[in-house]
Amino acid sequence: MDTPDLPALARLRRLLDAAAEVARATDLVAPLSESTGLSPQGVALALSRCLETDATDADLAALVRNASPAPHVHVILSAGVFTAALRAIAVACATSSSVSVRPSRRDPVFARALVRAAIGVRVTLTEDAEVASIRDGEVHVYGRDETVEAVRGAARPGVRVRAHGAGIGVALVTGDADLEEAARGLADDVVVFDQRGCLSPRVVLIEGPQPRGEQLVALLHARLAELDDAVPRGRLEPEERSQASRYMETMAFAGRVVHGRGHIVGLAPTGSAILVPPPGRHVHVALVRDVEEASRRLHPIARRVVAVGCDSEEVGRAIGGGARVRLSRLGWMQRPPLDGPVDLR
Amino acid sequence: MAWDPSESDALHGRALAFVRSFEADAAMPEPFDALAADLARFQAAHVPGYARLCEARGADPAHFRRAADAPAVPTEAFKISRVSTFPAALEQVTFLTSGTTLGARGAHAMRRPSTYDTAALAFGRWALTGGTPALPVPCPVLMLAPPPEELPDSSLTHMMHVFAGAFGAAPPGPADYFIRDGILELSALDARVARAMVARQSVLLLGTSFAFVHLLDAVADAGFRLPPGSRAMQTGGFKGRSREVDAAELRRDIAQALGVDPRAVVSEYGMTELSSQFYEATLRDASMKPGVYVEPPWARVVPVHPESREPVAEGDPGIARIEDLMNVDSAFAVLAADRVRRVPGGFELLGRWPGASPRGCSIAVDELVGAPSTVS
Repeated sequence: MDTPDLPALARLRRLLDAAAEVARATDLVAPLSESTGLSPQGVALALSRCLETDATDADLAALVRNASPAPHVHVILSAGVFTAALRAIAVACATSSSVSVRPSRRDPVFARALVRAAIGVRVTLTEDAEVASIRDGEVHVYGRDETVEAVRGAARPGVRVRAHGAGIGVALVTGDADLEEAARGLADDVVVFDQRGCLSPRVVLIEGPQPRGEQLVALLHARLAELDDAVPRGRLEPEERSQASRYMETMAFAGRVVHGRGHIVGLAPTGSAILVPPPGRHVHVALVRDVEEASRRLHPIARRVVAVGCDSEEVGRAIGGGARVRLSRLGWMQRPPLDGPVDLR
Repeated sequence: MAWDPSESDALHGRALAFVRSFEADAAMPEPFDALAADLARFQAAHVPGYARLCEARGADPAHFRRAADAPAVPTEAFKISRVSTFPAALEQVTFLTSGTTLGARGAHAMRRPSTYDTAALAFGRWALTGGTPALPVPCPVLMLAPPPEELPDSSLTHMMHVFAGAFGAAPPGPADYFIRDGILELSALDARVARAMVARQSVLLLGTSFAFVHLLDAVADAGFRLPPGSRAMQTGGFKGRSREVDAAELRRDIAQALGVDPRAVVSEYGMTELSSQFYEATLRDASMKPGVYVEPPWARVVPVHPESREPVAEGDPGIARIEDLMNVDSAFAVLAADRVRRVPGGFELLGRWPGASPRGCSIAVDELVGAPSTVS
């Protein structure tokens, strides 16, 4: 049943209610596990922790305020971070009262269920729609750079493409941070979605001397090992497994590496280039003397950083290098407020 | 174990004996595996990182008997650590990789670059000047590359310089290089080729793939004919420096523009982390297809499974594990990021091994190795 005149905020709230309803449907866990590659526990964790069903009115108001109206939005979703469908559709709903959604072919389960449950929100599924057939409005595309480029290339003149492409998360553990707490927070940020998605930290910089870095590595390794049991890592793609082996060998040679059943933590040699490990619960820890060095070390990859985790907002902003980086406390990197796209682009 | 140059020198001597035997068309002085195992043991004793890698792979250097027993060092290790058996003070030359799009560069330090030069020259001579009829040397050696002073840390530039010194009539000078500050000096090249044409001298034209593309773009349909019997060597990728061209198409276009037999356009495959190179053998063997690279007797390219690192079945694609007996003081076995496949007579390059291409908005590993810190 359509409700054409429902205000944007009300539609958004209805969308969130629909998401909560979908999340409660336990029969979705198995198909989600199959389509995402996450373990059933990983699916449950993502649903309970990362689905923004408890967004505040202020968040939703900000979401609407930050959106520029468009006559229609066509959303093209990516695979991997299945709950991201909610935010993507919410952003689209804040932009237009007419929204169509093309779920990822590999990972369509949650998006389909959400759209079907979102009665009255004026969102439709268009699984076979070609970008070239869209005549007006906007296309919101999520995913890899190749996907984004393909969509840009196919879009008709006059159709605006808003791209949310590839990115990574980084974290900084400040010199006065409590290491146990930092390790717990980092592990929480890493485990969700098995580190796929741009919010998860794959590089962790830590202020301080070598022993402090080694201590963090040990604590993070221990915490990730606990989570290997509680929330087992799911399936890795062959390329991910290959790159993980390569990362482990590289770090065994160049620095220090520890690993468990479902994770790898590497400690980089002092002053070396930042190496970004593949997703799949793999963390590259590098020592820095201060925030200035952290910024300098991150500079070569800065344009790819979309999320920074840090206990100090000021420090996080300094190493993030701009307002278009999502800043969060450690442990909260995967749970940003629902006030816009995760990458703030 | 304390560093003892005589141990390294002895291994260099054994490695060079392979080259001498090759040049003399004689049997190799010892089994490949014997020197390989000794090199790997030596490197495990003097490169702490390699010892750690061996341990991580469950490989005991004391029990190395075959080349395959030694774990391969991923090329990324050259980007974030020193891969070297000897103290930094003894470095004679350090070659740097050209880096990723984000700037990190791998470093390969050498204490005895003469070993590199000798091996490169021997196999380069075989692949580029041999065949029937052979290229008469000395001959003009023209380089579509910047001179060494512009790229002092490039192993490719160094190798070309060595070739020009060995195959040319005179020591190479600035006038033999035809890329300056990134600009192709076509008129100067044209003048040199014209002189060779008048003197009825075949030339050897060496260049990177992207430099050849620039040459082709510059001469367009007019062509740029080389004297009869000339040869061209092209190497390397494009890395955003020119339009990208399919390898077969590039060979055809180069041959057509230069007026040479397509089989005289020889591709080379090498990398900074190695001391040996691989070539197409189209000039040496009429049965060899373009795109098939051959190894010198002192190096092997083994396609391995991306996870287990075990050799794949004959003909299957795998990651290139490159065993190089000339890498005496660095890493005898290197794990490249290229996909290869064994074929009769050699191996084929199948492109880069896909970096972990994650789903969603995460990012592939290949794209992300940051530059080394300038912090001391």
